[in-house]
Amino acid sequence: MSARNAAAGGGDRVGGEPADVLVEDKPSGSVSLPSPMTPASAAGMSATMEMPRKRKGSVDNQDTKSASMDMDIEDMDESHNGSDGEDQHVKMKCFREPHSQIEKRRRDKMNNLIDKLSAMIPTCNPMSRKLDKLTVLRMAVQHLKSLKGSSSSFSEANYKPSFLPNDELKHLILKAADGFLFVVGCDRGKIVFVSESVTKILNYSRAELIGQSLFDYIHPKDMGKVKEQLSASELFPRERLIDAKTGLQVQADLPVGAARLCTGARRSFFCRMKINKICVKVEEKEFQASTSKKKDSQKYCTVHCTGYMRSWPTTQLEAEGEGEGEGEADKQDSSHFSCLVAVGRVHSHSSPQVNGEVRVKPTEFITRYAMDGKFTFVDQRATTILGYLPQELLGTSCYEYFHQDDLQHLADRHRKVLRSKEKIETNCYKFKTKSGSFVTLQSQWFSFVNPWTKEVEYLVSTNTVISCDNSRTCRSGNKAEQSSTSKTSEDGKKSLPVIPGISTTPGAMIYAGSIGTQIANELLDSNRLNSSPSSGSVSPFSLSQDKCPHNQISNNVPNGEATDMEIAGKSSSEEDAQGATFSGAESLMGENPQMDLDSVVGPGLGSLSSDEAAMAVIMSLLETDTNLGEAVDFEEMHWSL
Amino acid sequence: MTADKEKRRAISREAARRRRRVESEVFEDLSRLLPLQQSVRDHLDKPSVIRLTLSYIRMHTLLTGKTGTKAEASHKVKCGQVTDGQMVRHEFNGGCGEEEEKERYDADASKETNMYLRILEGFMMVLSTEGDMIYLSDNVSKYMGLTQAELMGHNIFEFSHPCDHEELRNNLRVTAEEVWSGGKRDFVMRIKSALTHRGRSANLKSATWKVLHCQGRSKVCVAPSSVSCLLLTCQPLPLSHTLLSTQTFTSQHSMDMRFTYCDQRMTLLLGYSTEELLGRSIYDLCHTRDTNCLTKNHFNLCFKSQSVSGRYRMLVRGGGYVWVESHSAVIPNARSSKSRPSANQPLCILCVTYVLSGVEEPSLQLSLDQTVHI
Repeated sequence: MSARNAAAGGGDRVGGEPADVLVEDKPSGSVSLPSPMTPASAAGMSATMEMPRKRKGSVDNQDTKSASMDMDIEDMDESHNGSDGEDQHVKMKCFREPHSQIEKRRRDKMNNLIDKLSAMIPTCNPMSRKLDKLTVLRMAVQHLKSLKGSSSSFSEANYKPSFLPNDELKHLILKAADGFLFVVGCDRGKIVFVSESVTKILNYSRAELIGQSLFDYIHPKDMGKVKEQLSASELFPRERLIDAKTGLQVQADLPVGAARLCTGARRSFFCRMKINKICVKVEEKEFQASTSKKKDSQKYCTVHCTGYMRSWPTTQLEAEGEGEGEGEADKQDSSHFSCLVAVGRVHSHSSPQVNGEVRVKPTEFITRYAMDGKFTFVDQRATTILGYLPQELLGTSCYEYFHQDDLQHLADRHRKVLRSKEKIETNCYKFKTKSGSFVTLQSQWFSFVNPWTKEVEYLVSTNTVISCDNSRTCRSGNKAEQSSTSKTSEDGKKSLPVIPGISTTPGAMIYAGSIGTQIANELLDSNRLNSSPSSGSVSPFSLSQDKCPHNQISNNVPNGEATDMEIAGKSSSEEDAQGATFSGAESLMGENPQMDLDSVVGPGLGSLSSDEAAMAVIMSLLETDTNLGEAVDFEEMHWSL
Repeated sequence: MTADKEKRRAISREAARRRRRVESEVFEDLSRLLPLQQSVRDHLDKPSVIRLTLSYIRMHTLLTGKTGTKAEASHKVKCGQVTDGQMVRHEFNGGCGEEEEKERYDADASKETNMYLRILEGFMMVLSTEGDMIYLSDNVSKYMGLTQAELMGHNIFEFSHPCDHEELRNNLRVTAEEVWSGGKRDFVMRIKSALTHRGRSANLKSATWKVLHCQGRSKVCVAPSSVSCLLLTCQPLPLSHTLLSTQTFTSQHSMDMRFTYCDQRMTLLLGYSTEELLGRSIYDLCHTRDTNCLTKNHFNLCFKSQSVSGRYRMLVRGGGYVWVESHSAVIPNARSSKSRPSANQPLCILCVTYVLSGVEEPSLQLSLDQTVHI
């Protein structure tokens, strides 16, 4: 039915866009607008989004008549056919609505405007009672007359009047743009003109700048770039243009010299410009001189310059008495004086970066982990705190540095953060520094999710150093003072059994490192299976389970959890501990401090010898690599909001 | 009786006609006082006259709300001849020929203003805190297809994409602390444009969406009828025919920001080979502290199809990083057919990245990707 209407619609529009208004053939009732904007149609620069239109063909005669009558209903005396968008807008929405509704809306709008007007006119304001329309209008006329009288008059005659006095507009633009206009000669970069607003931005006065070379004020490393932009020389590479439709570069086949010089050629580039330091008082200056340590660093700000080239024949300029030594240089040129007319603006979100200082508190640094806990990014601050250079940490698993006491807690947090969108705080934990001692840290982790694929790409950790004095007060499940690495089963509270194969040799490092990979693997498994952890997936260590000599390791899957958790039944004092269950959201670790390393990593591993442990780890790593390397098939992605 | 009724009706009709005539006359008077061209004035309807009057009054309040300094500065501004590359100062004298002087001065200022607007490739918009477009520079018709007179006084929410309204509202809020810090604004929004592909003005009914990059600041007026507002320059973000320097490179990405192509300059500037980068996510290549900036950029791309990133750091192969800024857009995949783009067409992201700085901290390797692979 609606398709028929569309066809009968007199060919108003080609094709059927998803956002078409389909008019129902109802005799009464209003048409509801579709939700007009879908991201699908918003995407792509060439996508056309059509506003709801009325379909001429499908409208009743009666309604057409009423719709067209709207135009004339109020202003019978006037014969305007003004193209005001608002009226069309109104009509579009409700061309089936009764007259009175349309009228009412029109009246309301008018009244609204009148009210606003009366609020703006000083003479209207003090009136307590509401003034009628005519009076307000008359007062408006008076007010405008008075305004015009004070400022420059808008002569009815020759030149084109503009709504704002032009000099005001000019200032307004520069203020909004936070920029300044400058004109520099191309050959030497001499600043020929600069607007006043430069003072606010670079803190130099106009007088200081005019006549100087632009290159004196540009960061040394950017000089080449700016030279290139100003240059007409053929030494520099050709222009490259991008065709937005295809995204490909198009080589400009114009002869370089002529094209670059022609008036109107655009330029757009960024460069760093010097900021003038604020003058200090004399006393302070003396003081500064005595402190010889003070760095005298030049501050720069990044300016986005856009503009175009202009060129004039020099003869004209000389006639106007340009002089000042410029004439000589020009005579060498091809009798053209070319310059760049540009606006430089400082972007709002820029902050002048001086020496690449990272703005973190001195005892804080940031690291980035892959999903399995391997360092992929380490902030340079880490070096002063941890003693390692970033490259020494990169690629290694964070678990190799965590203190053994903290492993289970951190593993638990690791699991949590992979599944949660919030920031997860860890308790205080110990991190091994290069020298072998431990530093106490407390971290805040969150997982970074790609906005498009909604998958976790990596984890970001903000780590704060906790000084030793605070260690008692910080939240800690473990006793932080305990620094011994060996656990005995007598200490029933938090003991970990001695696990064969664990030692302080590199074997232990590999072992600890696998914690991360296994946690990441869990997540992938559960994601792939796309279900709650109640499906039993096989742990990568199932291979080793079979080889396990200890019988206490059984393959129970308590409640069908994703990972088999078993306690190595070595210490009888831990009989209370139940099979750990790792649900997606919550971990029971906190409640069950007697979990041993087995439950963290997987069943059976704790009971293996170091050789077998190493084997198992290598195999799991191989498996993990293939899993994590899966590419996302983005072809199947579709727009959704 | 009927005759009596008839008579009364006639009288009331006459009265109504008179009222309307008087009203029309007042409207005429009002419109004549507005600084508009005759042709524009003739086509104004009543609500438009009021809108424009409101704008005029508001702008006047805004401009005079500034202290005397601004007004003085405008007088001291050099007159004209910028375009000739010269600087000649004219003292604004109140002597003879003042009217002429004023006109020439204004005409010159108009040239300068036009130059600014031309350079910026955009138009100027002043928004009240409720979103009323108090003022638009007259070149707005080039970008939106609707003239200054048609648009001024209307509310921006009528012309912008509903999904951007939230962001707009946030930007319109002017807080007290901003008075000191400058209240900068920088955002991307979608606005209706009545321009056809060929650049001609069409009806608003067949409007398309145009992406505008709006930058500016808030302005708080402490005048009696205080008009707090936003001053914005709005530029469309074209990517075609941008002149590139040696310090920029282009890259193409899939929608999740993984590289699908990058040009050789990337190798020169950052040290990664093209093969290395294919399939890698841009988030891996950047400094972690800039993740927010990149995410925001990505979101803008997904929903608005164009974006200007802020400044962020890209890590250089072998160590160190550079500051860059990217201008990106979503475009249909180059290999697709030339038919009209539909919703199902595969899209990709095109980025033009400007390198802003040199390599900083070249010895510092912060990320795994920078280390030389064994």
